[in-house]
Amino acid sequence: MNQSDYAHPEVLVSTGWVSEHATDPSVRVIESNEDVLLYDTGHIAGAVHIDWHTDLNDQLVRDYISPEAFAKLCSRWGITPETTCVFYGDKANWWACYALWVFRLFGHTNVKIMNGGRDKWIAEGRSLTREKPSYAASEYPVPARRLDDDIRAFADEALAQSKSGKPLIDVRSPGEYKGTITHMPEYPQEGVLRGGHIPGAKSVPWKTAVNDDGTFRTPAELAKIYSENCGLVKGEEIIAYCRIGERSSHTWFVLTYLLGYPNVRNYDGSWTEWGNRVRMPIERSA
Amino acid sequence: MNKGCPDPPDSSPPSEYPPKLAAIVSLFEGLPEVEKRETLISYADQAARCAPAEGERFDLEDVRKDEECTDTVGIFLKVAADRRVHFRVSLGPQVQILTRAMTSILCKGLEASPIETVLDLPADFVPRIVGGQLVRVRSQTVYYVLTRMKSACRAFLNRERAAAAAN
Repeated sequence: MNQSDYAHPEVLVSTGWVSEHATDPSVRVIESNEDVLLYDTGHIAGAVHIDWHTDLNDQLVRDYISPEAFAKLCSRWGITPETTCVFYGDKANWWACYALWVFRLFGHTNVKIMNGGRDKWIAEGRSLTREKPSYAASEYPVPARRLDDDIRAFADEALAQSKSGKPLIDVRSPGEYKGTITHMPEYPQEGVLRGGHIPGAKSVPWKTAVNDDGTFRTPAELAKIYSENCGLVKGEEIIAYCRIGERSSHTWFVLTYLLGYPNVRNYDGSWTEWGNRVRMPIERSA
Repeated sequence: MNKGCPDPPDSSPPSEYPPKLAAIVSLFEGLPEVEKRETLISYADQAARCAPAEGERFDLEDVRKDEECTDTVGIFLKVAADRRVHFRVSLGPQVQILTRAMTSILCKGLEASPIETVLDLPADFVPRIVGGQLVRVRSQTVYYVLTRMKSACRAFLNRERAAAAAN
């Protein structure tokens, strides 16, 4: 099997492809990172920055921006519904996948991920610039609705999924899943009161889907992890979660686009909601 | 663009912070958001200069990779006869930009401060420098270097007390 054996190979582009298409007017390269100032230190020429927190999240209610705000964001960067949006970023594309997933929430379908993300681009000796691009504002029609029902899950839906024994994938580290730690390895506490996992959830850390250089594993390797070992069946309703929804966006991308599972939803409230919510059932394992 | 860090103003309002740090806080508070980010990048760019020089000797060296930080951070502390501190800090390549910036700011801002002043330093200057927009759940390590510096000061004082008790 090779890259063309991914279910939707067109959503994954190489660093070389981005290098050739970064200035194509029908393409907008978008960097999205966890490190809030990383883009400012240098980025792919022509790439714009979308901040997962300030651009994609509502600043008052824990939710995503409104369709109006999304249209305004796209307009600011000269994006139209036809624009091919290519996402890349740090942390093996966690936040790139998160941003892509939010774009999908608003029905923007022409999306791609640069395989390997920012680290691979740099490792290959490709250039970065600090020059920030500007694009003429575009007309982006306000999306009729946000596709919360299609690719997003809420706590009550995750609870129903748990009770009915349908697949729930916990993509956090093994320690977080077991409940031995309440923070991500290498990160400070994020205000979670209880450790453990949603009852019935299977542990498949996001990292199992990538190679050491941050690129995605081969279709055969991914199929072995998720289909053979985890037992996921195409057509089943699947919910993935982590702590705040970014690592599970990565797994959502793998399942949806690389393996072609049609009914995958991302529970973005994730453990920072579940582990704090009163009377939510929690399972711990040795 | 790699600009040098602007010098903080000479006159700073009286505060509970060491004078050099107070001046940096004052500088940042007067900057609009865009310039604040550029200045943070300038400080981050200079973080490598905070590393200990070859052969430099210290009273305490604490190099470790903690659970709550993405990479190894080394704190090197020298305490002068007048009890004033001199910090050097080494950072692994994965350390975030904000943490790098804060490292430069602290090395500069706490230079020659009394050791007790460092221990008593409140962390509320961090959001005043960085601004509320950049301090978020995933950037809490911006406080990490200060915590490690204080920890080094405490370890130094404990060691000193233990030595005094032994004598």
